[in-house]
Amino acid sequence: MKHWTRREDERLLTGSGRFVADIAVPGCLDAAFVRSRVAHGLLRDVDCAAAREVPGVVGAWSAAELPDLPAVPHTLLARLSTEEAVAGREWPALVKERVRYPGEAVAVVLGEDRYRAEDGVAEVTFAIDPLPAVITPAAAAMDEPRLFDGLSNTALRGEAGQPVDDSVWREAAAVVQGRYRQQLLMPSPMECRTILAVPEGDRLTVWSGHQMPHRLKRELAALLGWSADRIRVVVPDTGGAFGSKSAAFPEFVVVAHLAVKLGRPVRWIEDRLESMLVATRGRGQDQTVRLAADAEGRLLAYELKVEADVGAYPHLGVGLPMQTVWMATGPYTTPRVHATLRSVLTNTMVTYPYRGAGRPEAAIALERAMDLMARRLDIDPVELRRRNFIPPEAFPYETPTGRRYDSGDYAGALDLALETLDYAAWRAEQARRREDPQALPLGIGVSCYVERSGGEPGGLHEFGSAEAHADGTVTVRCGAAPSGQGHETVFPALVAKVLGIAEERVRLVEGDTDEQPEGLGSFASRSAQVAGAMLQHVAAMLIEQARTRAAQLWGLLVDEVEWADGVVRAARDDSAVADLAELVKATGPLRVEDRFEAGMAFPFGAHVAVVEVDPELGTVRVLRLVAVDDCGVVLNPTVVRGQAFGSAVQGLGQALYEGMTFGEDGVPHLANGFLDYLLPTYSEIPPIEIKDTCTPSPGTPLGAKGAGESGCIGTPAAVVNAVTDALRPADPDLLQMPLTPDVVWRAARAPKFEEAPKLEEDSR
Amino acid sequence: MKPAAFDYVLPSTIAEAVEALGEGNRRTQVLAGGQSLLLEMHLARIRPDLVVDINRLAGLDRIDVNGNEARVGALVRHRTFESADAVPGPLGRLLALAVVNIAHPPIRSRGTMAGSFAWAHPASEWCAIGLALDATVEVTSREGKRELAVRDYFLGPYRTERRADELITAVRLPLLGDEYGVGFIEHRRTHFCFAQVAVAAAVSVRDGVVADARIGLVNSADRPLRARAAERSLIGTELPPPGSGHPRGDHPFVRAGQIAAHEDAAPVAEPYGDVAYKRQALAVLVARTLTDADADRRSRAARKGEDR
Repeated sequence: MKHWTRREDERLLTGSGRFVADIAVPGCLDAAFVRSRVAHGLLRDVDCAAAREVPGVVGAWSAAELPDLPAVPHTLLARLSTEEAVAGREWPALVKERVRYPGEAVAVVLGEDRYRAEDGVAEVTFAIDPLPAVITPAAAAMDEPRLFDGLSNTALRGEAGQPVDDSVWREAAAVVQGRYRQQLLMPSPMECRTILAVPEGDRLTVWSGHQMPHRLKRELAALLGWSADRIRVVVPDTGGAFGSKSAAFPEFVVVAHLAVKLGRPVRWIEDRLESMLVATRGRGQDQTVRLAADAEGRLLAYELKVEADVGAYPHLGVGLPMQTVWMATGPYTTPRVHATLRSVLTNTMVTYPYRGAGRPEAAIALERAMDLMARRLDIDPVELRRRNFIPPEAFPYETPTGRRYDSGDYAGALDLALETLDYAAWRAEQARRREDPQALPLGIGVSCYVERSGGEPGGLHEFGSAEAHADGTVTVRCGAAPSGQGHETVFPALVAKVLGIAEERVRLVEGDTDEQPEGLGSFASRSAQVAGAMLQHVAAMLIEQARTRAAQLWGLLVDEVEWADGVVRAARDDSAVADLAELVKATGPLRVEDRFEAGMAFPFGAHVAVVEVDPELGTVRVLRLVAVDDCGVVLNPTVVRGQAFGSAVQGLGQALYEGMTFGEDGVPHLANGFLDYLLPTYSEIPPIEIKDTCTPSPGTPLGAKGAGESGCIGTPAAVVNAVTDALRPADPDLLQMPLTPDVVWRAARAPKFEEAPKLEEDSR
Repeated sequence: MKPAAFDYVLPSTIAEAVEALGEGNRRTQVLAGGQSLLLEMHLARIRPDLVVDINRLAGLDRIDVNGNEARVGALVRHRTFESADAVPGPLGRLLALAVVNIAHPPIRSRGTMAGSFAWAHPASEWCAIGLALDATVEVTSREGKRELAVRDYFLGPYRTERRADELITAVRLPLLGDEYGVGFIEHRRTHFCFAQVAVAAAVSVRDGVVADARIGLVNSADRPLRARAAERSLIGTELPPPGSGHPRGDHPFVRAGQIAAHEDAAPVAEPYGDVAYKRQALAVLVARTLTDADADRRSRAARKGEDR
């Protein structure tokens, strides 16, 4: 086992992990859903009778046949949504009258296995009278048609900062504007969504690949009308989440309802095509930006307008783009920043957090605008950034958009990135190529970002405990729920370090709501920052508890008992010594638990990409990608490196490959799964160099910030800026992500940016 | 993603197989490598009553070279062609250049060349090569054997002259003489996906004049295509001395690319590849592939000179 870098890897990488679909429960039924093939329309005549005749089918229901079926619970977590946004816009678990997104479930079939359930699905008949579908925020904002009769499609408006006075724009030496599309992305975890609901006596045990088991427990209890202690949620091995597995989805509501109604185990194992059609999407913003600077390149004002596509129902995603608005300031000292949001309902599956969750959109918009400004002022883009970074001594820093950044050294990260890349050498190579007609154009792109990790106020805490046993081992529990991040390795090591004992003696228990009454989960890159700090805290409490016990046992004052390397001893003369095992044997179980609250943290970094473009074909080849990230104190370099690498690859996905496209009818082009929606695969991964700087977060004694989303936030703008730098189109807005060959070819043949147009003053 | 119920047979002789395929009015499908069929069945877009698995049939896993043709049995897997020596001469080299573009190694270890001709995907590399080289498809049914010329074989996307009761037993590819140079270039968004477009080319030149040109176009219409107009523009044309980099200006290869893209091709728009872009990519690829083929021819001739 020594050769496995992470404790969980032997299990996960040799195929002996235990996922929800691996859990065999006798008599379990498989659910399969009958799904709408149209985006928007009025449903009628659902007939499940023929399905019930299919051998092996146990039941089939439309919404009308399940009158007690509860609606999908809305989520008002973390200031991200409002009662007003959700009022009157119920999300039924099965369509009652109106289909609002393609793939929305109109009936459910339970079978003895998934094959039989799908055979049943094929026999269900229904009709949909189509309505026009709106799939862009601009179209939907016209309120023609409305998704909910009598209610606007605009579900929420928000803003941060103060409106910028016209005189600022008028009097600035340079003003640049851009329009950016943050395309809809699919989170695409290796394992799609899963739920297995098993009624046992008066309780229901729910197994699910889920990021927030305690929230799922509360939501299921509420929709069943039960007390929460009758629900147990267990998260077994989970194959990735990326933000997409934290809700009680429509299918979960149906499965839990039917398991209780029938008194039988029921499961739903989402398959890939279902997932592509009806799993939550990320991003989905149309942005307009305006940036002003003086002649020396000092930023004066920044304005960001976000039109967000939040999908068909105002779930958590309706307020998620507020993350973009709050983070609009970025790493710069811009004195005036105003960001506004309009969240618009469209005929697509709901938008939801996807790794980065609002911060990539903020970073990409700002960093593209920074390159526009550098070109306008004829300043090196690196220099423009250096002139505007918030300096290390300015922290904590209050931004005009209402964030209080905890700590940072933005110039330090950029310097390391440029040094790692050898920026000057690549600029020289770029100059050489511009003189060589045979050479492919080369571009260098920089992206400096600051993001937020941990969660929002009210959700910055975690619960946990530590318990020493008579055999000298320690069990720690916490409310986090991993989906592949390596908690089993990192957290026991952290606790062992605090206690001064061998890692092997610490065992972690997570993801089971019967193990501890409360917990939050794993999201917002919070596990190390918040749960890690909580575990450090309870480990320290365990030490104090052990000293207190030993003092009582030996008739000493607590101050007279020392703890070192898992052993308590009488400080003055070593007259009494006991290790944890002896102490527990002598004094009984030793257990501490607490709730611990962390501060919001603001990880940051600098990414630099070098690309080569074939202008005839429009292909982009990434020659180098350097990612310098700062997530404060690193608990495990291997795990953090894995996070940085994986998120950088997902960032490349947004920049170059991924994006949902839709037909005229509003149905996404996904008939061939991952042949239609292209993820970067091993063959597409360029040379990536990962480095880090360390600026501890003052928000906890541990000093860790979130490490999980860096590349999704930092990488896309580096790549897009590099392609823009290579092609120098007069209108960089031609380069909208994903930068597919057709997009790049069109930008390559468009008019070029004229060198040195000079400042507007010069022509006056 | 589960197939609808179907029957399955695993015959041990060709006679049994065609007997099963000819049974009454059942919808039948042949299973060879299964790399397209199984996906379509999972998606329930193909719902056969009967699947006839031919993997136990003897003698279909061989490549036989008879005279001027390579006869590729119906169970020869794609990966066989990863070696340029699997088939003699420039043809072996062309197939080796093309095969690495067919999906991933696991798919190439199961999928078959004959299966590609049965499935007739517009983006099939093999089908475009078969067209360019005037290949022949051998089929057998209860009524006997037929030979189908590939030039008239493709009727549309996934539609061919083969009847559902006919089993492809082999594809016959004419060998290319040593005077040919070959090239194959594929353009796609990621390694995993189908070609946006791809081009296969074989060129022979005598005394500086193009003697023969064969150009196959992948995913350039609703079916595999041969760029006959582009070929005609080249045959009999004198080639300028080779330059460095890609051909430009009024080079015959560039002209052939334009003709292939605008006269031969009838591209079908797809997400991230509208008709204008596909024509552009085709024009570029045809010119580059011809250049590769010509360079291959010249290096081959130079090596031959050295051998003497």
